[in-house]
Amino acid sequence: MADVTQSISLLEQIRLVSALRWRILRNSMRKKNNRLDLIGMIFTGVFGGILVLGLSFAFYAGAYAFLSQGRLEWMALLFWGIFVFWQVFPIFVAGFGANFEFRTLLRFPLSLRAFYIIGLAYGFADFSAMASVCWLLAMTAGATAAKPGLLPAMLLVVGAFMLLNVTIERLIGSWLERLLSRRRTRELFLGLFILSMISLNFITPLMQRYGASARPAFLRLLPYFAWLPPSLASSSLAAVTRLAPAGFFLNFVILLLYLVLFSALLWRRFAAQYRGEELSETAAPARATVRPIAAIDDGPDRLSLLSPQVAAIVRKEFCYLTRNGFAYLTLLMPPLLILIFSMNFAGRHPTVGGRGVSAEMFFPGMMAYLILILMAPAYNSFAFEGRGIQTYFTAPLRFREVFLGKNLMLVSVLSVEIALSLAMLAWRVGLPSAHTLVATCAAIIFTIIGQLTIANWSSLTFPRKMEFGQMRGQRQSGMAVLVAFGSQILMGGISAVILFTGNWTGNPWLPAEAFAFLAAAAVSGYFASLDALTQLAEKKKEVLIEALCR
Amino acid sequence: MPEVAIQTQKLTRKFGDLTAVDGIDLQVAAGQFFGFLGPNGAGKSTTIKILTGLLAPTSGSMQLLGVDFAANPVEVKRQIGVVPEGMGLFERLTGSEYLKFVGRMYGLDRLTTQRRSEELLDFMQLADRPKTMIADYSHGMQKKLALAAAVIHGPRILFLDEPFEGVDALAAGALKALLARMTERGTTIFLTSHVLEIVERLCSHVAIIHKGRLVAQGSLEELRAGISGEAGTKTTLEQIFLSIVGQDGTERPQLEELSWLM
Repeated sequence: MADVTQSISLLEQIRLVSALRWRILRNSMRKKNNRLDLIGMIFTGVFGGILVLGLSFAFYAGAYAFLSQGRLEWMALLFWGIFVFWQVFPIFVAGFGANFEFRTLLRFPLSLRAFYIIGLAYGFADFSAMASVCWLLAMTAGATAAKPGLLPAMLLVVGAFMLLNVTIERLIGSWLERLLSRRRTRELFLGLFILSMISLNFITPLMQRYGASARPAFLRLLPYFAWLPPSLASSSLAAVTRLAPAGFFLNFVILLLYLVLFSALLWRRFAAQYRGEELSETAAPARATVRPIAAIDDGPDRLSLLSPQVAAIVRKEFCYLTRNGFAYLTLLMPPLLILIFSMNFAGRHPTVGGRGVSAEMFFPGMMAYLILILMAPAYNSFAFEGRGIQTYFTAPLRFREVFLGKNLMLVSVLSVEIALSLAMLAWRVGLPSAHTLVATCAAIIFTIIGQLTIANWSSLTFPRKMEFGQMRGQRQSGMAVLVAFGSQILMGGISAVILFTGNWTGNPWLPAEAFAFLAAAAVSGYFASLDALTQLAEKKKEVLIEALCR
Repeated sequence: MPEVAIQTQKLTRKFGDLTAVDGIDLQVAAGQFFGFLGPNGAGKSTTIKILTGLLAPTSGSMQLLGVDFAANPVEVKRQIGVVPEGMGLFERLTGSEYLKFVGRMYGLDRLTTQRRSEELLDFMQLADRPKTMIADYSHGMQKKLALAAAVIHGPRILFLDEPFEGVDALAAGALKALLARMTERGTTIFLTSHVLEIVERLCSHVAIIHKGRLVAQGSLEELRAGISGEAGTKTTLEQIFLSIVGQDGTERPQLEELSWLM
């Protein structure tokens, strides 16, 4: 029989879980990169603290003002703000969360009740929860200052509201965890998430166009919101202020019913996890199929001009591109962005406001912006290689061939993207003058090839592993981001000086000539750098393998 | 005198203050099935990484098939195949795509690569899931694919780091048969494993590394001769291993300390 004679208390279990999270954070600081990350975390913490504190004053002032001025219905706005933040913010920051699986606690002798309560307590440790609790307490203080008699009701309502919020947040988190446990759904979700983020850009033009006609429909929907938790919390307090106990009880009981309903749902989810719900990454075994004999492809090799190694890497990169939902979205972005920006600023298709800019400015500006976006992944180009990186060091090839293959694929994709974007720009904004067009094209070659050399160095020096379609823990290397930022500022600065000089001398073809010269220099510099990068790869291989094979 | 496949002189690798591999002098003849043994953390994987070019030695030199690795790494890599620790697969490719990629990386022409990929997938029983990505393979399937990729170019030396870990008995049988056939045809196999029974059954020669130092090297018979076993019984590799690695008495856990578990 095991020596465990009695269960440890719930508080002790919560203390142990907190200590575990603290030790995970502390031990991760042993690595230099993680220590650098800590500096970022401290900055974020200070900034977040200031934000929370500032908004706490705002919530205090808001609650005080609404109650002292008798504008009781406005309290709903405060509750709604907190509710939306508490539920939506954790989804947005899923990628920055600590790498800790709450479910791993299940290996220990916990009762379902303890598992449920620890799960809820764990929910209060999120930034969104802590910030929201601060704001709710500030609201309570503000309301009490305005109407001291409201304190007991306020404490009841705010307590129930907190519990309801943490329950819903844990429920959403639990469902998301289940949904995202499979790679395909994870990628689909990530795609939808990014698309929804992009689509936010359309709100302004859509509001300008359809805002007035959509308003009555929105107003018709408004009464239904009164039956949702934030409005119920506000209505409960309003009823107390109006000395209408029946109204208070009705609204508060409905709020409690929500709490019971969501608690039951969360209990169901946690019970499924407690019973050992399988959230497997591995696909179910496929039915054995009789495979037709594959036809040997003896047609001409479309990449026969390249060495077998470079051709193999180009093909592999293409396969990876077609299986990376995020890359698809990155490729979709440029034409979409041109559409969005041209809806707001274009000359040929002016917006409702009638603003517009000339193609002379819009054309090079837009291309610079697109290169900024499309070149960013090149600064950590081995991010998705994983353990496969070892193949590059065990295969009989020089590392310059790896870079040639990867860069060739990137340049091909960029060429297609830029061609598409140019066509889109010509349609939406119109073509600029010949000298601007030539200067822009030469500048594109200069900035892309010039950046490739720096990006290859950055990829070797500051590698960071990333997983396809995964949100948790997906951060670029901080140093790679800084290098990208620095080199883009450098390129942008050089381009600005050239454009200014062209304008100052009154010679419209000067920028085109200067950029053509720089493009030729960048191409020469790129090929000259490959041997040096091969030597660097040999020196950095241990760093690279360690970072990507984790 | 048989051709030497692997030879090292004073091979050393340090990580800060820790010397993971300490002046190893290895000699493996061509065509040998060579087992490289050692307790956890002894330096087995570090040695195999150095021998395959994944890690640079701090000092010392090595020649594979008579070619100096440092002077001509590309030429050496053409002759060797590797199943590294963690297998080194590109998980977003299908098995077939990965084999074709590796074949081309080793410089095989397209038709040969394609034909060999098909044959290897059939042999490894991976051909019935042509569209499944490696990320969705089971651990055993990934191991088989990694081995297929290591042999696609017909290497003269094959380095295998724990090749049977996580592989079921059925697949392990097929892999062992393949490896045995390769040694018959003159391929040198350099294998690390924690399972001493497998090493004893497959390998003709063995080296034991302990705390970064090579403490024994030779054929199984030579190692047995150095150990005094019970009269009339054949000394097992486990007994040899324990007698060499645990001979100072500090390696064995002291069971008396866990009296509460008895």
